[in-house]
Amino acid sequence: MSLLMGPSALQGLRVLDLSGEKGAFCGKLLADMGADVVKIEPPGGDHVRRTGPFLHDLVHPERSLSFWYNNTSKRGITLNVENRKGRDALRILARTADVVLETFRPGYLKNLSLDYDELRRQNARLVMTSISSFGQMGPYRDYLSCDLVASALGGQMYVCGDIDTPPLKPYGEQAYLVASIFGAIGTLMALHSRHYSGRGQLVDISMHECLAGVVEHVNVRYFYEGIVARRQGSLHWDNAFRVYPCRDGYILLSLFREWDTLVEWLDSEGMAADLKDEKWRDPELRHKEVEHIIEVLELWTKEHTVGELMEQGQLMHLPWAAVNSIRNLSENPQLLERGFFVEVAHPEQGDSFVYPGAPYRLSRTPWRILRRAPLIGEHNQEIFGGELGFSMAEIADLVSDGVI
Amino acid sequence: MPGALSDLRVLDFSRLLAGPFATRVLADHGAEVIKVQSELTMGGPQHNISGYFNNWNRNKLGVTLNLSKPEGIDLAKRLVQVSDVVVENFSPRVMKNWGLDYGVLSKIKPEMIMLGMSGMGQTGPWQDYVAFGATVQALSGITHLTGFAGQPPLGVGYSYADHVAGLMGVLAILQALEHRQRTGEGQYIDLSETETMCSLLGTAVLEYGCNGKDVLPVGNFPMHRIAAPHGVYCCKGEDRWCAIAVFNDEEWRAFCRVIGCPSWTMEVRFASQLDRWQNADELNAAVEGWTKLHPAEEVMALLQGVGIAAGVVQNAADLAHDPQLRSRDFFIELEHSAMGKTVSDGSPIKLSDTPAAYGRAAPMLGQDNNYVYHCLLGISEEELQRLAIDGVLL
Repeated sequence: MSLLMGPSALQGLRVLDLSGEKGAFCGKLLADMGADVVKIEPPGGDHVRRTGPFLHDLVHPERSLSFWYNNTSKRGITLNVENRKGRDALRILARTADVVLETFRPGYLKNLSLDYDELRRQNARLVMTSISSFGQMGPYRDYLSCDLVASALGGQMYVCGDIDTPPLKPYGEQAYLVASIFGAIGTLMALHSRHYSGRGQLVDISMHECLAGVVEHVNVRYFYEGIVARRQGSLHWDNAFRVYPCRDGYILLSLFREWDTLVEWLDSEGMAADLKDEKWRDPELRHKEVEHIIEVLELWTKEHTVGELMEQGQLMHLPWAAVNSIRNLSENPQLLERGFFVEVAHPEQGDSFVYPGAPYRLSRTPWRILRRAPLIGEHNQEIFGGELGFSMAEIADLVSDGVI
Repeated sequence: MPGALSDLRVLDFSRLLAGPFATRVLADHGAEVIKVQSELTMGGPQHNISGYFNNWNRNKLGVTLNLSKPEGIDLAKRLVQVSDVVVENFSPRVMKNWGLDYGVLSKIKPEMIMLGMSGMGQTGPWQDYVAFGATVQALSGITHLTGFAGQPPLGVGYSYADHVAGLMGVLAILQALEHRQRTGEGQYIDLSETETMCSLLGTAVLEYGCNGKDVLPVGNFPMHRIAAPHGVYCCKGEDRWCAIAVFNDEEWRAFCRVIGCPSWTMEVRFASQLDRWQNADELNAAVEGWTKLHPAEEVMALLQGVGIAAGVVQNAADLAHDPQLRSRDFFIELEHSAMGKTVSDGSPIKLSDTPAAYGRAAPMLGQDNNYVYHCLLGISEEELQRLAIDGVLL
């Protein structure tokens, strides 16, 4: 298959992916670029498989759409690392690997003698990437977190939502995804330096820090201006953008760019109200009295459709955008023209399904989904038997001992 | 101790947030990043003496270059010759108009890796559309989905997509470098911020495609997971909140004990995890009756003490004093020649053997012209003076 598809950026790298929900996307980011990522689940499957949504809303570990999305292009084996034979098998696997990716609570692997010090004894070139809630050290090390708590503690939620609503979590498991991207970057940095040092190293990723590191204006305004940023609905922190209702949905408008063009446009439809007044050409005043501008604009947008405003606005170089639903997204002409969405075959469902495609496009070593997420233990025989050379009898023993 | 990327040189034409955030990650980890600026375009958030600029451009060298002059273009090409990576985030036509597109630059230096970041990507009917972080968020679906059920969309309260695009850009560069390590080949990376952001809504895309129902906003409710209580709860004080997430019966029993087992916790409608999830509104009101009596920090400490995921909804001041962030030296101090002591967020990537390092604050305009043009490119000082007089280094 790889011959047909051309070279992959990460071909030849093997990743043992022991991660749960915090790191599954990290493994995907490496697997879709060609690394041989082996997902290692406990017998019976990762508990993330019990998280929905499910195909046709039927709850089943092989139908979890979040598991499907975050585990593309990986192979899958089962292994009980709490069992002695399971630990031995993992040590053997570690000798064949470039990277171990894990998201256990700090200290868990050490209790099993599978921490980095132990595994690097098997393989000095091994990189270990640990993604955890708060990092491998510090006073919160043993605290629990999840996508919601990470978003709260990381400073994201406080600035999302409206002033009269509770703080709001951005949609989707963004904390896990962002921690996973940082994890993938850290992994590749460690692999890069290994080309010179010949040695692996430990990559310690704190989900908490990852969130606190992607809050744009929040830290900057505090440290430079002493401002504690608040929530202000869809109005952007610097008042530059806001969401408006249209006849058929919502649109995001910029308020300050190309002001004269905007006022002319409103005026041509008799809806500029007092905005033609010379005083509004002063950006400072517009910023200060943004509420008035919003009122006038809202009366106007309600008369139009999202599509006509966006198209016209972009022709005038206004950075306007439809507030797309996922349904709209699947019909977006730009995404369709670029062939963004890809179909992934699920032979056991007798069907293929539409996935988001490449997050970025490399000209020589394109991103691709090699195969759908693995079924539970799908590659046990291939990896334990074919690659590690376990005999049929040994594999049967592992199965009957509940190791795989 | 050298950084993980200390063998790399990056030529950085990018501005605002997405590009500079990407090259800051590379710079923090050892790459020599040469930031190209011009006096002619340095206003607003691009101004060197602004917190916003300083925050995203630390650890970089700064040069000035006037790309509207042919000699400026020649100099840019000489800089490409000594660089491993080129980063830009203009609209797709800009580099082309200067004659600095990948087709030209790859002939000058075939093993170079070039990242072009734009709102919509380098091709397609919307390639020239103007986009900022907020625009991309609206197009990607996250603005629509970030809201309370049945309410108008609110969206993410800042340019989250720029961070995401920056990080994905770094990842793509590092992957291209792996390929170069093996083959010696460079390549081009076309990053559409909109596509990158869509890839962070993958489960929603699948849900729509597989089950045929449009995906709707759910506020802080755990749509795909039976968890309750799950949400943010108003605490004592002004605009103070604590996030609480209870995922199973064992955690629920610990929660009840720690709040003193008030009678409502025994009610039949809250008996099982599924009951609580189905009666979440009533449950949340009852939980808030307790949290309102306590400071958010106390709620967090009490619950974490018995093994429940809980966390203060931290604002900027809370972050600056967060004991966990402090213990891991997350915020770093750098002396800026015009602004004095500055504080910024460090790299969340903690590498045991090749840690991030923070050498200096963001450059002043053209601060490193001499090092870059004279020491690196070997241009004589007389020639540099002439270029300056001719307006090539504006």
